[in-house]
Amino acid sequence: MPRLSGLQKDVLSFYRECLRAVRQKQSDTRENFRAFARSEFRKNIGINKKDFGTIEYLLRNGRRKLETYQDPGIRNISR
Amino acid sequence: MMFRATLPRLARQIARTVPRYQAPIARPLTRSSLLQSRRITPAFQAARCYSAHSGLSHEEVQGRIMDLLKNFDKIQDTSKLNGESHFHNDLGLDSLDTVEVVMAIEEEFSIEIPDKEADAIHSVKQAVDYILAQPDAH
Repeated sequence: MPRLSGLQKDVLSFYRECLRAVRQKQSDTRENFRAFARSEFRKNIGINKKDFGTIEYLLRNGRRKLETYQDPGIRNISR
Repeated sequence: MMFRATLPRLARQIARTVPRYQAPIARPLTRSSLLQSRRITPAFQAARCYSAHSGLSHEEVQGRIMDLLKNFDKIQDTSKLNGESHFHNDLGLDSLDTVEVVMAIEEEFSIEIPDKEADAIHSVKQAVDYILAQPDAH
């Protein structure tokens, strides 16, 4: 694998953060959250790695979403 | 009758041998018992010795990681899966998949791998070496 840029590492670190948050959800709906996180990241897999503006925007957006979905009040999610 | 004579003797013999047998569950996990049977991960362990080193063997760690990869839905071609497989070059995983694999390894061995070290794990061998270097992995 080629060496990753700082921004790419940020994205992977954020992905890890999301997957850690998934573990906090109840076991019966955990897979739905995992599938959601997966598909959200996959949606933008084709973005050029030099397109910093877009990636940074998506990261900000993602962080906000994580904050929302992390709430224990949110018990399930559907795609 | 000969049978009547042997029966009490047999019973005495059994009574003598049975208490000597120790249930494997009560015995602390030692290295030698691990070597005898490669996959000794009891589903239920009555007493866990927290102070004792878990003593994971190389084969056991590798076996558990390979099992985990076999069940990973992104790997279609398991023929290239072996102790030396590279996640990207051999198994065709991208960086997001690699993150997922490393997270699954974390869960399997109940440890937390910091970002920096997790970024450096790109192959089965690296993962095995990392786990073996962790004293609290089990």
